[in-house]
Amino acid sequence: MKKIRDLASFNEAREAGLEKLLPAVPRIAVGMGTCGAGNGAESVFHAFSDSIEQRGVSVQLARTGCFGFCAAEPLVNVWIPGKPLVILQKVRPDDAPAILDHIAAGRIPADLALCRIDEWDHITAHVKFGTGFEEIPLWNEVPFFRGQKKIVLRNCGLINPDDIEEFLAVGGYQALYKALIDSNPAAVIEAIQAARLRGRGGAGFQTGAKWEFLRRAKAEPKYLICNADEGDPGAYMNRNEIEGDPHSLIEGMLIGAFVTGASEGIIYVRAEYPLAVHRLRTAIQQAEEWGLLGEDILGRGFRFHLSLVEGAGAFVCGEETALIRSLEGRAGRPTPRPPYPADSGLYGKPTNINNVETWFNIAPIVLKGPAWFLETGSPKSPGTKVFSLVGKVVNTGLVEMPLGTPLKTFVYDVGGGAPLGRAVKAVQTGGPSGGCIPSDMFDTPVDYESLAQLGSIMGSGGMVVMDEDNCMVDVARYFVEFTHSESCGKCIPCRVGLDKSLHYLSRITHGKGTEEDLKTLDELSRMIRDASLCGLGQTAPNPVLTTMRHFLHEFEDHIRARRCRAGVCEELALSPCENSCPLHMNIPRYLQLLKEDRLEDAFVSVVLDNPLPASTGRVCQHPCDNRCRRAGLDEAVNMREVHRYIADSIYPAPQFEELAARVASLRKPATGKRCAVVGAGPTGLACAYYLALLGHEVMVYDSNPDAGGMLRHALPDYRLPKDVLDREIELIRRVGVQFTFNTRVQEEITLNDLDAQFDAVFLAIGTWKENWVYLPGTELKGVMPALPFLEAVSKGEPTALGRKVVVIGGGNAAIDSARTALRLGSDVTIVYRRERKDMPAIHEEVEAAEAEGAKIVFLASPHRIIGDESGRVKALEAVKTRLGEYDASGRRRPMPTDEIVRVPCDTVILAVGEAVDLDFAKASGLKIKENGLIEVDRYTLATSRPKFYAGGDLITGASNVSNAMGYGKKAARNIDRMLTGEERWTSLWPEFVYDMTVPAHPGASRRHRVREADPLERAKDFREATYGLTTVEAMEEACRCLRCDVRNGD
Amino acid sequence: MTSALLPGEKPAPGPLTADEQDYLDRLIVRHRGRPGMLLNILEEIQENQPKKYLPLDYLEYLSSRTGIPGAQIFSVATFYALFNLKPQGRHTVCICRGTACHTRGSKALLDRLKLLLGVSEGEDGGSADKLAATTPDGEFTIRTVACFGQCALAPVVEVDHQILGHVNERVLEREVEAVRKGARS
Amino acid sequence: MPDRVSIRIDGELIHAKLGQTILEAASATGKFIPSLCHLKGLKPVGACRLCLVEVAGVGRLLPSCTTPVQDGMAVTTRSERLDHYRRMILELIFAERNHICAVCVSNNHCELQALAKRLGVTHVRFPYSYPKAPVDATHRQFVLDQNRCILCTRCVRVCAEVEGAHVWDVGGRGVGSRLVCELNRNWAESRSCTSCGKCVQSCPTGALAAKGYAAEEMVKRAETISRLVEAKGARA
Repeated sequence: MKKIRDLASFNEAREAGLEKLLPAVPRIAVGMGTCGAGNGAESVFHAFSDSIEQRGVSVQLARTGCFGFCAAEPLVNVWIPGKPLVILQKVRPDDAPAILDHIAAGRIPADLALCRIDEWDHITAHVKFGTGFEEIPLWNEVPFFRGQKKIVLRNCGLINPDDIEEFLAVGGYQALYKALIDSNPAAVIEAIQAARLRGRGGAGFQTGAKWEFLRRAKAEPKYLICNADEGDPGAYMNRNEIEGDPHSLIEGMLIGAFVTGASEGIIYVRAEYPLAVHRLRTAIQQAEEWGLLGEDILGRGFRFHLSLVEGAGAFVCGEETALIRSLEGRAGRPTPRPPYPADSGLYGKPTNINNVETWFNIAPIVLKGPAWFLETGSPKSPGTKVFSLVGKVVNTGLVEMPLGTPLKTFVYDVGGGAPLGRAVKAVQTGGPSGGCIPSDMFDTPVDYESLAQLGSIMGSGGMVVMDEDNCMVDVARYFVEFTHSESCGKCIPCRVGLDKSLHYLSRITHGKGTEEDLKTLDELSRMIRDASLCGLGQTAPNPVLTTMRHFLHEFEDHIRARRCRAGVCEELALSPCENSCPLHMNIPRYLQLLKEDRLEDAFVSVVLDNPLPASTGRVCQHPCDNRCRRAGLDEAVNMREVHRYIADSIYPAPQFEELAARVASLRKPATGKRCAVVGAGPTGLACAYYLALLGHEVMVYDSNPDAGGMLRHALPDYRLPKDVLDREIELIRRVGVQFTFNTRVQEEITLNDLDAQFDAVFLAIGTWKENWVYLPGTELKGVMPALPFLEAVSKGEPTALGRKVVVIGGGNAAIDSARTALRLGSDVTIVYRRERKDMPAIHEEVEAAEAEGAKIVFLASPHRIIGDESGRVKALEAVKTRLGEYDASGRRRPMPTDEIVRVPCDTVILAVGEAVDLDFAKASGLKIKENGLIEVDRYTLATSRPKFYAGGDLITGASNVSNAMGYGKKAARNIDRMLTGEERWTSLWPEFVYDMTVPAHPGASRRHRVREADPLERAKDFREATYGLTTVEAMEEACRCLRCDVRNGD
Repeated sequence: MTSALLPGEKPAPGPLTADEQDYLDRLIVRHRGRPGMLLNILEEIQENQPKKYLPLDYLEYLSSRTGIPGAQIFSVATFYALFNLKPQGRHTVCICRGTACHTRGSKALLDRLKLLLGVSEGEDGGSADKLAATTPDGEFTIRTVACFGQCALAPVVEVDHQILGHVNERVLEREVEAVRKGARS
Repeated sequence: MPDRVSIRIDGELIHAKLGQTILEAASATGKFIPSLCHLKGLKPVGACRLCLVEVAGVGRLLPSCTTPVQDGMAVTTRSERLDHYRRMILELIFAERNHICAVCVSNNHCELQALAKRLGVTHVRFPYSYPKAPVDATHRQFVLDQNRCILCTRCVRVCAEVEGAHVWDVGGRGVGSRLVCELNRNWAESRSCTSCGKCVQSCPTGALAAKGYAAEEMVKRAETISRLVEAKGARA
């Protein structure tokens, strides 16, 4: 083997490498990091190899590392001489022949192309691939790569990591050569110090300073250690760096060794990374053969030996003193510093330890100088950092960004937000030593200091995105479980303290926690942080302290309400569907009862959980669908439609009388307490129903002449026929609820009157006041708010609706207005300022409106309404918007452009949100919050005035029917407890006996959807637009349930 | 390594065979005096055992030939998660408990697997979060790992050293069944 | 460099030898800093964290048993925070294993018990773990009761550093850590144990004891270990 001993032999090797990298024939390189292999890259490689052999074509086939976009693996690089390098994504083995066909014709398969690279800055060299294929986006035009700067990952995914010549071709070992020729170690250390390079393992200590300590140490030999024992769960950048470019690590260590006087090097790498170990061994062997490792390196008399040790699975070995003990053949228990490794490290000799990524930064700094390095990143933290962006994010992968980039860029721009349109809740940085940062702090720049201020750390670069389905108490528990099992056991705070922390956290996630536990946990965490021996213990409480700081309400939910909103803590919920249901319906029970052909029992079960099952069966936003475990197999069980079916089968049928009597018979004996409910909408009805069942005397007041509130007056008949609602209200009357209509609070009856006459008062007034936007032209004839319009139509009153209608807004009220206007014979256009996916309306409703002929203009922000001479609306002008930065809700902010669209019309319906009319509450002793809503205790719904409770829109603003009813139900439980001083709630339900086994073979059928009437036909009148499930369909749906409510071992 | 050198289910006390001693001697010489010697030797011994564990007799011999106190060897062998002191099952199913896998539901997979193979927690006296349990018939060992570093594929399960990404309960059941059938045929 | 330095401990000016730890300097002048894993003559390990002190200008707490004195250093050995943490650490020790004093051979002669009294630990707020820790009574003269072990590793160190036998080490990790004899043998089967009894004398609790004593009867002489090491050092 030719050893490199001078410039001539160096250049010779480079030339040879360039011929491999840019050969005269096309080159195909398959991305074969562990992540690629896990996605089938191995078989893709063999498919290419077989096809090339079969055809006998002249194509060079190579392996390369990972280019970072793990979500798009396997990645395949294709280079045709003279053309740009093209990266293909999600390549399957059977794509190989077609790709070769394309290459033979000088083309690229467009459907597989991810991006192209015309030229590449390897930092240590510049490679021009070629031009052409302009239809394929440049690599940094792809959202995932936009803003990335590849300094550390300069070669990853582009060269063959097993071939030292390719590394030499892109400028490898040049920095070493320069350092050896210049022979000025002090200058190199000065350069590293001037570049302010900080340790990339997490602590962020100045690398140059550490090197200077080692250089000054007197004893021999000196050791250099690379810490590649990447143990943070959720972080894998070191693995990819080594797998993709092992020689850059070796070169960094060689330079470090030369300038500090070290002669022995050790790479301590995780045994769980077999491919990285393999690539490193190959690289070390090659470097030895080429005279780059060993004695007399590059003929300059410098010697350095490098060996590899596989770490055997101990997270604590990320701690430098533990790693050293591990190398000495002992258990990895850290020892106190001082003495520092630079004075007394491995075998008591001077030692320096740096992280993999730190070593990767050395050659570029040596070659390009500190000034160049300082151009990137923030002043205190220059350069880039590689992050593994994983968890609940669409684009997972390795991201190299300048330090100081705001978190939201990672989560939304690069990561594309959470999958399935869920809301991102937090990002966890720094693994078990770090913390959770809530989404309203995503403007935070990612650097050492900023993250530390929030109680987190940057750590080695793990970034795990959490969405609304993640429970932060569970996350804290998870990390403590991890550090608890990784604690070495040497010092008491960490060993026993974490054990007790885990105990408290487990208690809380099991619903057995107390407020006292929370206080003890906080004290304990602070003690562990301050008193532990090493970094593991000192940082282990971070996940607890940060979640308690930023997500305290979740801890309180678990403790005070025994609730886990995310539905993660199993002990706190019957099943995921029950947990997600605002009414907490026992869904598995009615499904099972129906499955057992016990329709009447099923009806009683449903109606005891939800007094408006037919209405909600039609209009609920069905959050249960999002949580159903069946969705993991095929699709969620259509739970909403099953209870609609059950309700629809009973209400109009003869059994109704008997079943209504059965429900009424469950009413508890009269308590003699009197309750008033203000508002006969869904919130009020739910509360009144349960209070009556609990034996109280209940009077409901409403300003309307009938009950139902929004259900009756805001929901059009085609969504909810009013006879359906009437029958449900009849059942509510049968359990004893009384009504006083045409009575407005504060006009006909005052709060003081109620206070005097009743033992408890529940306020449940809806959002009937339309938010009036400031828009020039709203005074014109033909402009109307949505709710009064819908109300008038429902009451059969005349409206001033014209022929051409524009609806402004994207919520349910906007869609209801549009579909109602269509039915009244108008032509309808909806104008919405954001994108389709941002619309708050139920997705199916939007689709239905379009099918019925409504047009929707997205990304248009209303600008003014133009009137004619007579003062009537003539047109709406809107400014087209483009999507700007992400806001705190994770949606991109619409930014105005120059373009203006004009929609001719004679009517404008404003559906931009509703507000509560709180005039009645002023001077009533009810505390009102800044946002104009009534203040209540989150857990009891009690207002600031004794005896008065409030729920629904009054405390949340405009919401939806099921949420509103959930508050009514919750209020009834708390009012009852206040009135009786007992917890009688669960005794309302009789015992239902039904099969409690998990079905061995759950129903195989697919999800049944409701059928819809023909769109153009149904848009002619107000008849119901959907037909419920048939008996067979409903049964089959019930059989699809996986019975998450059945617990193993119960 | 030949299987003839294997100790039985219950390692009989007493000296090792000449071949085994020879093997260990060569191993010691190869690593002697190098940093990480003990870790490397133990890793190699375990890797070369068909049942992937560290037989106590080997450790005894290692102690006597290297002068490393037995207590220190035992301390190391029980400190690191990689080492097993008990024979492992013929097949290993390893569930990743990393953060990304956890947020994507690896706990449910673990519970399902334990149910499927009839293994209860903490057989090795380990805590519930660090599982390494073998079925009574010696066919399967269930393990958890802190993180495979395959987070982009979460949740990840490794079945006999083959990484499976984006696993759900159905896939897991199918894979275990496939391995079981393969084992019996 | 002068070989004597001046430091302040709780405001009091003290002269110390360069190379001494804060704990050594403090005890040389009769100042008390609590500790359990420290034993004069053995290499300090900084494990029990009871000897943590505040040093002016240093943000974190430092273990006085391993931190060398520096000229001008100002050390605080008692503060509300330190007292609070020390009590919490002692409570954690009591909660970790089964320290039932009434039936212990070391009752009234136990360093853990004495320290708890001195620091005012009257109750344990944490739930007890009640582990089933083994007792090894196979040795002819001595007995090891892991229920009383606090993992201070004095026995490990005295055996390896002073006696040169290295019979003991710590196996496992985290809360699963246990004292092990050689390759997890019964003590009686140990091949390296010289039965010198140094481990027993150095043990701060009743975990290691000589046989034949009833509750409250075992009195240990840990200071003999310190004197032995001192004598050895003087001879060398």
